[in-house]
Amino acid sequence: MIDKSIILDDKKFTVGIFDDSDKLLHAVDTLKKKGVKIFDCYTPFPVHHLDRALGYERTNITIGAFLCGMLGSLTGFTLAYYMNVVDWPMIIGGKPQDITVFTSFIPVIFELTILFTAFGMVILFFARSRMIHGIKEDLLCRRQTDDHMVIAIDNAESQDLTNSEIQSLLTSEGAIEVDGSRVSFNTSLTDEEELVQQLMTQ
Amino acid sequence: MYSADIRQPLVTAGKTYSDVTADVCRPIENKPTNSWWLGFSIGVLLLLLLVVTLAWTVWEGIGVWNTNKSVMWGWDITNFVFWVGIGHAGTLISAVLLLFRQKWRMSINRSAEAMTIFAVFCAAIFPLFHMGRVWLGFWPLPLPNALGSLWVNFNSPLLWDVFAISTYLSVSLVFWYLGLIPDIATVRDRATSKARKFWYGFFAMGWNGSAKSWGRYEVVALILAGISTPLVLSVHTIVSMDFATSVIPGWHTTIFPPYFVAGAIFSGFGMVLTLLLIARYVMNYQDYITTQHLEAMTKVILLTGSVVGLAYITEFVIAAYSGYEYEQYAFANRMFGPYAWAYWTMMFCNLMAPQVFWSKWARTTPWFIFIISIVVNIGMWFERFVIIVTSLHRDFLPSSWVMYHATWVEVGIFLGTFGLFFTCFFLFAKFLPVINMSEIKTIIKDKE
Repeated sequence: MIDKSIILDDKKFTVGIFDDSDKLLHAVDTLKKKGVKIFDCYTPFPVHHLDRALGYERTNITIGAFLCGMLGSLTGFTLAYYMNVVDWPMIIGGKPQDITVFTSFIPVIFELTILFTAFGMVILFFARSRMIHGIKEDLLCRRQTDDHMVIAIDNAESQDLTNSEIQSLLTSEGAIEVDGSRVSFNTSLTDEEELVQQLMTQ
Repeated sequence: MYSADIRQPLVTAGKTYSDVTADVCRPIENKPTNSWWLGFSIGVLLLLLLVVTLAWTVWEGIGVWNTNKSVMWGWDITNFVFWVGIGHAGTLISAVLLLFRQKWRMSINRSAEAMTIFAVFCAAIFPLFHMGRVWLGFWPLPLPNALGSLWVNFNSPLLWDVFAISTYLSVSLVFWYLGLIPDIATVRDRATSKARKFWYGFFAMGWNGSAKSWGRYEVVALILAGISTPLVLSVHTIVSMDFATSVIPGWHTTIFPPYFVAGAIFSGFGMVLTLLLIARYVMNYQDYITTQHLEAMTKVILLTGSVVGLAYITEFVIAAYSGYEYEQYAFANRMFGPYAWAYWTMMFCNLMAPQVFWSKWARTTPWFIFIISIVVNIGMWFERFVIIVTSLHRDFLPSSWVMYHATWVEVGIFLGTFGLFFTCFFLFAKFLPVINMSEIKTIIKDKE
């Protein structure tokens, strides 16, 4: 196991916890309008338009996927052409075995394109999102993968509003819980007692 | 959010987010029920039968099958095509229906994808053991080898099949796993035992539902759906080319690719219905898999069943019209020859039986749908049997005409693959969330 949390480090966060996605979106909008810099949001399901509200640009993973697909096509063609035309042409029934049989290479080229695209894209996704087997998950609320949604604001970041102003803003937006300095914790790698301790100290 | 009053809610009983989590995690977090144990035990028993029959096949050689006559494919490839066909519904539901924005897919896609993967496992057994020497099963791979530099033949549809099916299996696994990650994270964060924390933590890959990750995740899922759609169509197309590129009367037809793909969707939905009707009842998921879902699936059955039926008739008309006497004989032999019973079973199960779904009552009555789904499964098995056995048992030379009957070993292997399938499915239902929680949570306030 990788005993390091690389996502949130030891940052302290001001968090607002919501139980409704519409309220969350509205709160993000309001905070953004007041010029508050939001670190990230954590939701149990994809909330529509949340990425736009947070000002995130559309990911360019698709470009990587396209390149992987091209590599797949090239691999498929090279494999078939080298093996069946260059290295060892199998002449069956006196039929030619050269570039004119390209059409019968198409199924393999097609399948390898899909294979490379799928795997390349998913690996890129994992790398970009810093996901790997055995990494510690950084949670700010135990129920953020169940039914609660979290707005996290990095305390180290300089904001126009004071911390208490942000907190009262979050409360007025309908947050069911607001916390001015929360550090991340994880559930899978710590003992239950340790976790309770962690939560108590927060 | 778009909603019209004439539409029904997709999840009934006014479930909240935490209700969804609790309902879906219940089987994972509690001891298995008696009905789970019953199903799992039957699965394991049949799996043992698979082990025994395969071991016997390897020990004694495939002479223990009856396929060593002119019917060289027999039950074996029949079963292969049957299972690959079943493996088509999962990706179809999650990929094609995602592209068409059919929200009803969300409660069934997880289990349908699982079914796909297990069905492809079952399918892979047949060609591997049909090789006779299963330990040489890596030979179809394009590897440098000790036989000079003889490579695989890229002009052969059988090689295309190797690429198509292994790509299909691996891409389906990736798609399934990607969809599972947020839900595994949910189980992880509710876990109380150390082992569960560790394992779900391990497979959740640190997922914490950050909006940045969700943004990428949705794009990746969409592109995966986009590329899986032609993939799923290509797989059964290539399977059909195993037949269509030959010169055997009854196989050598251009209609095969679309006809096989429609048949695969048809049989896949048949199996999805069979499994989900059981799961829905045993696991109490009536609020998630509503009669509305069943109705949507029966409509797909009706459509694809009619496409398949049309293909049967087209195939027959073309054969009659071809003026090619061998082709004409192959079809006459199917209808009135010694295997006519199989042909008419197929016609009844695939062409006639699904037509009951024109009636609203039939589309919304679970026990009736269950019966028809079994009928569809039987019909689609017979379709492959008819295509393979009737075309092979009487070839161009009447002196080599034979009848083909399976031995107990062949029957045992077939039943055994059901054991593998159900064992995997029951384990899946115990250890992984059967319903896609993170997707369902986005639509619990929606209507269809």
